[in-house]
Amino acid sequence: MKQPDPSLPLTRREFLRGASGIGFMAFSGFAPAFLARSAMAQNPAPEKDRTILVIIQLAGGNDGLNTVIPHVDDNYYKLRPNLALRKGLLPLDDHQALHPALGGLHRLFDSDRLAIVQNVGYPNPNRSHFRSTEIWETASDGDSYHSSGWLGRYLDNTCSGTPTPEADPAAIHIGDITPQSYLAEQPQAIFGVQAKGRRKGRRTLADHAFEELLDTEHNEGNASYLQQTMLNTHITERRIETIIARYKPAVPYPKTPLGNALLRISALIHADAETRLYFASQGGYDTHVRQLNNHARLLGQLSDAMAAFQADLAANRKDDQVLTMTFSEFGRRPAENGSRGTDHGTAAPLFVMGKNVNGGLIGSAPDLNLRAKQDLRYSTDFRGVYSTILDQWLQSDSTHILGERFNPVPFI
Amino acid sequence: MYGSNTMPLDPPTPDSLPVNEAWQPLPPDQWREDAAAHLLRRISFSANPAIVRSILKHPIRRVLSRFYGETRPLKTSAACEAFAASLPQAYFELYNTIKDPKERRQRRQQLNRENNKFFREFAMDWYAHARDEANSAQEKFVLFLHDILVIDRRKVRDAPTLIDYQHLLRKGIQTTYPQLCKAVSRHPGMLIYLDLKESTAQKPNENFARELFELFVLGEGNYTETDVKEAARAFTGHRLGKRTIYSFNPRAHDSGLKTIFGQRGRWNGDAVIDLAFQQPAARTFFIRELIKFYLTDGELPHEAYIEALGEQWAAHNFQIRYLIFTLFESRLFFHPAYRGNRVKSPTQFYIGLCQDLNLAIVPFQGRLLQSMRSMGQDFYNPPNVRGWQYGQHWINSTTIRARRQVVDYAFSPLYENYLNGNEKKALADARAANQSNFKISEDRLKPLLAQSNTALTQHLCNFFITERFRDTYQTRVSELIGDTAAKGALNRTRNTLMALLQSPAYNLC
Repeated sequence: MKQPDPSLPLTRREFLRGASGIGFMAFSGFAPAFLARSAMAQNPAPEKDRTILVIIQLAGGNDGLNTVIPHVDDNYYKLRPNLALRKGLLPLDDHQALHPALGGLHRLFDSDRLAIVQNVGYPNPNRSHFRSTEIWETASDGDSYHSSGWLGRYLDNTCSGTPTPEADPAAIHIGDITPQSYLAEQPQAIFGVQAKGRRKGRRTLADHAFEELLDTEHNEGNASYLQQTMLNTHITERRIETIIARYKPAVPYPKTPLGNALLRISALIHADAETRLYFASQGGYDTHVRQLNNHARLLGQLSDAMAAFQADLAANRKDDQVLTMTFSEFGRRPAENGSRGTDHGTAAPLFVMGKNVNGGLIGSAPDLNLRAKQDLRYSTDFRGVYSTILDQWLQSDSTHILGERFNPVPFI
Repeated sequence: MYGSNTMPLDPPTPDSLPVNEAWQPLPPDQWREDAAAHLLRRISFSANPAIVRSILKHPIRRVLSRFYGETRPLKTSAACEAFAASLPQAYFELYNTIKDPKERRQRRQQLNRENNKFFREFAMDWYAHARDEANSAQEKFVLFLHDILVIDRRKVRDAPTLIDYQHLLRKGIQTTYPQLCKAVSRHPGMLIYLDLKESTAQKPNENFARELFELFVLGEGNYTETDVKEAARAFTGHRLGKRTIYSFNPRAHDSGLKTIFGQRGRWNGDAVIDLAFQQPAARTFFIRELIKFYLTDGELPHEAYIEALGEQWAAHNFQIRYLIFTLFESRLFFHPAYRGNRVKSPTQFYIGLCQDLNLAIVPFQGRLLQSMRSMGQDFYNPPNVRGWQYGQHWINSTTIRARRQVVDYAFSPLYENYLNGNEKKALADARAANQSNFKISEDRLKPLLAQSNTALTQHLCNFFITERFRDTYQTRVSELIGDTAAKGALNRTRNTLMALLQSPAYNLC
């Protein structure tokens, strides 16, 4: 029996070519899809100065009216006798102000690093968390169903994004769940970075046996999927963990799950990983009951983590390469409910952060002159935001990816 | 190299398997080892060859009657029951009698600590209960129901309420689905989880009504926003005293006229559930969920099959036992296209591993619960109200690493000197309760080497993986084991077994 090299190869190329590597490519009739295709693909030159997109999901439905607050509108106070915020608001212009917990984002707004796109939504709002998240992540109009996500389709559309054996993952997410946004029609190298670090020891004989079993044919749906994921994980994890463990950020990050996630993303960007898409999620925004303190805590964590991330990128001179965008599946009802909370609603503002954004308030604020139980009517289609990012930031073709043409939103 | 079993098998169509035959029982001559192993892997957590042989002595229906017979409750400790009994009074004092904010904070913290303690105890008790092969099918069905009628620990918090809700689901196997939905709509756990306790005639909260239609009974697209708004009015008036005791308050209930699914009446919550079950979608929604959980995480079987079963189920008043017995003994259930290709859930992976290796549940709360969390199935904490998603959703770089670690841990020594105080005590308690098999030691592997390479290879492949992968894996497993009499055979066997348990094939059932 051949003896394995005790150290795990760090790149797929080593893995495939090294003496200890296993013969995936030689295996007739079958190779994991991404390897099979890459063997035929033209290897593009590494592009280390490409633009990068970081998505932060505010899961649960962020209360837009208590994020960007229309504090001079009497209707706001009528709709929210218990939840209206009055003190410590951070002014944006004569009509709008940020929640008091968003100090970090407010400073970025003042220095032209933050665009706030107001009242973003879509035509036929759906108030189910899952369906509305799916609509956002798959860029549906609310009526149609897509099996792939908008960023997955972007990857499918980008020739230079074709994974090569030694490439970094095309898209990285922090945590256990692959975002729907990344789901693609073609196999894409997508990697989930653990939210908490762990160092793997040396390669053992049991690892070797595992590799041998992985190297049998599994040419069916779930078996093949398991095999590919195991292979990809096996190779990529050690490289990425090394990068993260070695990283010394220029500024301290808040010790929150989102802070940790953005710290990891910063480490990978700093290491010039070829990855262009990153995704992190912050949960807890489903504030049906007694929301004031909870919502303030969540927004504070969001603002602190985003501000640290931006400062770290700036200190490392990576800030002109990175655009960070937030989204949430929906805003909440304009009127508070009977539990000092808010129920599922429709449109809400979102943040776009970066050195290259056109800072400021973009689009029109929602009209609050509403009858009881009426919902906000969106003024900016979220797919317009996507199209701007796809065309102007990722240099792709939004019409192809979104299926139709949308008016760009002037935040870049 | 190309095993016949790895070629994709086409799922049945009404041409290849007529609809009227699909739900007929499997012919007795096909009730063989492979079928029995398939049944066990799907309705419980593993297929121990000894149990396969024992169930083959009976017809499938008798086997099902035994697995889903009288409810076998989960036993909780006397301390836990005492805590449950004390909870209403504790909340009464917290809400009403304690005025000092500092004392109130302390009492609340104490309550949190106790809730956490008993929740962890409950989790450990449940894993042990489910690991007992006699309970596995029942508890897997509880997991299934819980994945539809979701509540979670994050929001509900009170361990006794969570335990009681789980028991409601367990008993639900013996009832009808509409009855179970009605019981759930009054349970304190659901009242808290979907905000029903806050819902009044003046301020109806739509959360429960929406999820009832979307996630429990009908599915997206089979109701309108108006139906939800009107149904929310019907579910007003449920109150929760002392956070634990259900009552109905007619004054908080909206008894006015409501129009739901086009029908006008003074509907209350139960009437809304009855109306929902009159919708055609109610006949098939639950069946699709059942099929996704038990039969396939890929494409659903042809709609004609599902509709036919829906008709039968509705004709049997939506009896749950009728439905699962019909499905689990059906020809469709045993069709080759649905064998050996379902991704195991983390719970099945873990409990099945313990059963396969004859290991007791590891007695360390923190370690076990953390393992489950990293594999993606945090006990009693689904990611959201939709529950867990199955199939490839279980598999990503993080969860795959966690599954491998669970296997690594089973084969590593216990390192008793490095255990902390709680762990030492837990280990001593477990041993006092006559549990000792927590690890695969050399002593347990040695007897395997009495066999030839061929016999051992076949033994391992038959025991641990489905027939679909045996041909392709056997060659490699045999090479890895080498000569069972030669030097290093024990180590090679150990490494091969670990690799087999980490392989794609072992992650499927």
